[in-house]
Amino acid sequence: MLTTEQMQPFNDAVNDPLSAETASKEREIIGTLCTYAPEELIWAAGFHPMRLFSSKSDIVLAENHLQAYCCSLVRGILEDSLAGRLDFLTGTVFPHTCDSMQRLSDIWRLKGKYKFFADVVLPVKLNTPSARTYMLDILNTFRTELEAAGGRPILEQDLHEAIHLFNRIRRSLRALYDIKSQNPSIISGADLYTLVKGSMIMDKVQAADRLEQLVSTLMPVDTPENDTGRVILSGSVCDSAAYYQVIESADVQVVADDLCTGQRWFDGEIEDQIDPMAAIADRYMDRMICPAKHSDLTIRGEHLASLAKKHRAGGVVFLLLKFCDPHAFDYPYLKEFLETRGIKTLRIEVDEQQDNAGQITTRIETFAHMI
Amino acid sequence: MICAGIDIGSITAKAALVRDQELVDTLVIKTGYDHVKAGERVFEQLLKKTGVGREKVCAVVATGYGRASVGFADKAMTEILCHGTGAHFIDPAIRGIVDVGGQDSKAIRLDDTGQVTDFAMNDKCAAGTGRFLEVMANALDVELAQMGEVGLQSQNPSKISSICTVFAESEVISMIARQQKREDIIAGIHDSAAARVAILARKTKLADPVMMTGGVAKNTGMRKALEKHLGFELTTGRLAQENGAIGAAVLASRLSVGS
Repeated sequence: MLTTEQMQPFNDAVNDPLSAETASKEREIIGTLCTYAPEELIWAAGFHPMRLFSSKSDIVLAENHLQAYCCSLVRGILEDSLAGRLDFLTGTVFPHTCDSMQRLSDIWRLKGKYKFFADVVLPVKLNTPSARTYMLDILNTFRTELEAAGGRPILEQDLHEAIHLFNRIRRSLRALYDIKSQNPSIISGADLYTLVKGSMIMDKVQAADRLEQLVSTLMPVDTPENDTGRVILSGSVCDSAAYYQVIESADVQVVADDLCTGQRWFDGEIEDQIDPMAAIADRYMDRMICPAKHSDLTIRGEHLASLAKKHRAGGVVFLLLKFCDPHAFDYPYLKEFLETRGIKTLRIEVDEQQDNAGQITTRIETFAHMI
Repeated sequence: MICAGIDIGSITAKAALVRDQELVDTLVIKTGYDHVKAGERVFEQLLKKTGVGREKVCAVVATGYGRASVGFADKAMTEILCHGTGAHFIDPAIRGIVDVGGQDSKAIRLDDTGQVTDFAMNDKCAAGTGRFLEVMANALDVELAQMGEVGLQSQNPSKISSICTVFAESEVISMIARQQKREDIIAGIHDSAAARVAILARKTKLADPVMMTGGVAKNTGMRKALEKHLGFELTTGRLAQENGAIGAAVLASRLSVGS
């Protein structure tokens, strides 16, 4: 198990993004809202890319802009911005993903609260050669915008260093996930969630160093644990340790995920022997898509089925934010795709500002008996 | 060997006793504010009613919304598993359950051994649940127990368009103001609630034979409306409301045999 001291900096980052221990000392902060934000470029330009999460405060000010049928993540982040809780930001980056995120970007730009603003209009279809050319083009435009904001050019060397840094973070997180899959009891789901979220928030050099230290202290046990109650978690953001605690108290372990706050962020590495801009473009083209993007028609189903096979999981739990259209559209086909392959599924809808632990516990406990 | 099942729902608490795979008796009381006391009370009253001594009960399984508050239970199991077991105990041919209780409605698919293979629950709101019907009965000034029968007298059901309990209530109030017939409004309410529940049943691909359980199964109007939406008849017994407690008692006896 990880010690309180080992977890401390990650807990601090989660509880207070500006905590003295983990914040960048010299870099100004650029907020990101999605794992399609090219963080390597932001870092190479001299900024600290920080993933924004909703503080889950009651929606008061955002109510005037976004109706109740927009997801709680988008409403929650707007509320934080309007209430001044994000005034530490120098700017924000909105990659082109779902509709709600686009509207949030519009409102954000009109409010003009921060010095820097960028829409990164990525391609939607990611499986064509022209999309790859277009992706590279968009990233180059974004690079120019960042250079203007940072007041200096981004050099090849800066790009290589950023790629190296983010690859280190990705490699360590993958190693931690592998340990979790092999010996679920070594790291609790809540701790793993905090490590990923903390790494998304804190200074990246700190994240890379601290994660490497953690990995070196954790030794997997040779004998794999029994295969009962292993699941994959799929969805957009899973932003509460409580979900992992509910799952584990039903004797079920999350052994892999397909989450924006999980493997979709850190799976895959960026090739460091080729042109860095092309290499960054390749990573964002080739990583597992989220449902706001298109690649092959059944690629998400195949990916989930192969994750379940690799990690010996009997089921997939879809943790979906209420009113999240892209995930809701994909769900019926994914359910059928997986069930015809003998993989059980469970769908849970959550709202970030509401606690509905009772119903979720009932579902998880029943699902534990089904798998 | 005597085993007990306690089902603490949001509106009523139920208890069942099973002796050697035979149902002894059941009891339903109001849950009230205190879940802990409701569990104690329903269990003690059933023991008194049946003349069974507490020391004779080998194992207790608690279920329902308040299952964690039953301190004397040996194990807590979800109401989905308990309704599955209960329905299979009463009629092994059953392959699906529509359970409409106080705060949740659920569709549950079973295999030929009574194991749950899929389920769906209402999650966005309380429309289609017992609480929804209670709110509507109140607005219409009709006894909840009479609601089913009154609705069946309707020749021309009203159309309730709102999904949300709060909006549906204001829609009903405006219908009352327009002096629409009470039975027509009630039939409209049943139809609207049944449509919500039928969506869950279709999501889980329930197929005949299906049992309707939970307190709302006692509402004939609601059951008929649901049958219309599903296109087949639903089985329901006099113990529909107690089905979860019965399942819990059966699971308790398996627990007892297992140990």
